[in-house]
Amino acid sequence: MNAERRVGDRNILDRFTEDFCWVVEKYAKYIVVSGFVAISTGRSRATEDIDMIIERMSKEKFIEMHNALDKEGFECMQSSNPEDVFSYLNHGDNVRYTMKENKMFPPEMDIHFAKDELDEWQLKERQKIEFTGLDVWFSSVEFNIAFKEELLKSDKDMEDARHLRNIFKGNFSEEKINKIKKMINSMRKGANNEE
Amino acid sequence: MRNNGHLEFIDRWANFIKDKPQEEWRPKFNEFIDAQFEIARRARENLEKSEEGREALKREIEWRKRR
Repeated sequence: MNAERRVGDRNILDRFTEDFCWVVEKYAKYIVVSGFVAISTGRSRATEDIDMIIERMSKEKFIEMHNALDKEGFECMQSSNPEDVFSYLNHGDNVRYTMKENKMFPPEMDIHFAKDELDEWQLKERQKIEFTGLDVWFSSVEFNIAFKEELLKSDKDMEDARHLRNIFKGNFSEEKINKIKKMINSMRKGANNEE
Repeated sequence: MRNNGHLEFIDRWANFIKDKPQEEWRPKFNEFIDAQFEIARRARENLEKSEEGREALKREIEWRKRR
């Protein structure tokens, strides 16, 4: 596929994601996971929220990042106080950021800190996907397929997984998917259905 | 899974975009994504014109915060 894309080729979700990631990248290792991986590789559906996992960081560093996001036009829906936002994240909750100009309406960036060995592994193996034309770190195709098929399992998720299998056919490891699925079963099942 | 027809569409679409240059499908794809946000934005702008609509928007924001 042709990897060339011009800046004007970006849609609303592309612009929102790249702008948000451009700020986060300065402070922490992150990955974009789940639905947006399928959409940015051509799956013909939209989404209101983009899911991101960020490596754990100190409160001081997080406050700097939050303030930088604020300066670039983003706001957190749960609180404007970065200490509160950090507290939510540090307790394992998700928080969501939107663009101020959208007055808390989508698109949203749904973020959480890495919570276990699986998330650490995803962060370690993050990748850029050239043909998306986006300067964004994604979790690997194997992780996305495994989570969607083994944990999330809604119609939308199973269809996303099928899209990824079609698009990346011959370029992913089935053995690795099975290994990740086993880890999901031992570490995530019975907790909650969040990637 | 919804039905086989939809799965066939997913397969056909994936094969189409793998085979074609991005210039051929990306502009329409982007229009499709943008249109969904444009429709939602237009609806919000219309709701903001009335007291009842503004109340509905407030409820929606509160719901979104709690999700």
